[in-house]
Amino acid sequence: MLPDDNSTIETTVRAVLRDVLGLSEARAAALRDDTLLFGAMPELDSMAVAGVLTELEERLGILIEDDEVDGEMLETFGALVRFAAAKAPR
Amino acid sequence: MIDHYDWRGGREAMLRFGPTNGPIVVIAMPLFEEANRTRAFVVTLCRALAAREVASALPDLPGQGESVLPTDDARLDDWRAAFAAAAGNIGRHVHGVALRSGAAIDGEARLESRWRLSPLPGAAALSELRRAASTGGTAIPVQPGADCPPLLLAGNRIAPPLFNALTDDGAVAVPDGPLRTVRLVSDPQPADRKVDAAPLWRRAEPGNDPALAALLADDIAAWIARCGG
Repeated sequence: MLPDDNSTIETTVRAVLRDVLGLSEARAAALRDDTLLFGAMPELDSMAVAGVLTELEERLGILIEDDEVDGEMLETFGALVRFAAAKAPR
Repeated sequence: MIDHYDWRGGREAMLRFGPTNGPIVVIAMPLFEEANRTRAFVVTLCRALAAREVASALPDLPGQGESVLPTDDARLDDWRAAFAAAAGNIGRHVHGVALRSGAAIDGEARLESRWRLSPLPGAAALSELRRAASTGGTAIPVQPGADCPPLLLAGNRIAPPLFNALTDDGAVAVPDGPLRTVRLVSDPQPADRKVDAAPLWRRAEPGNDPALAALLADDIAAWIARCGG
């Protein structure tokens, strides 16, 4: 059973950021739609970006092409959730 | 203790833990960066197995870890052959434990059973390195020619034959014999058991999880007892 609704996807994206970046539960819970990610969160370097995207692929059963990865989809937590939701199988 | 094993291409180091008799497992570590992130955890797991009277062996692969073989000379078929030789070196009734992309190299070994944690194929292991390199601004060819120099992917020098063999390794092999797959609760793929833990192999800073090591050691010990010990 693959996660297919938006709240499940948001929960998954939050958990992936927590697990890959080693965020505390409090920091992970505090991620909001407009929380800035890439460029604002020091843990999120290029190796960590690769880990986040690959972990999202595994947990959501999606495939993210390299040319889809840009600053926009990683700009905020909300942008990353919307990107993942658009990729998730229905 | 630090032991060694011989394979067709030379001699490699192998860490040994636990009792000198009784059941023994040979452990296939994850490939590349995930090996670094999980090394402390794997040693904790080996010690937890030893506390349960299960011996373990942790072979270095040619061209990885302490190996004297240049990293550029590492090949996927050599890894499989070396792992099979390591398993053959340590006894006749050996069980396999593979972590992550370690499942891509345990296929040729003669094993009484296989226990795998969150297995993934070689292609998936390579794709994260590719992605880290491309996010860092390095252009990576899809299929490098044989005369192409080794590619540097997130700090790993990978020659075209290894790169292409990993690319072709698109699905986790399911060899004959007893197989148990354990995954994390966060992983939607099917498994015989799901455990609630964070994926240590993804953490930017290597960590450890003794509680998870103890839980998995219990699972492995019970599994190999069911498979004849």
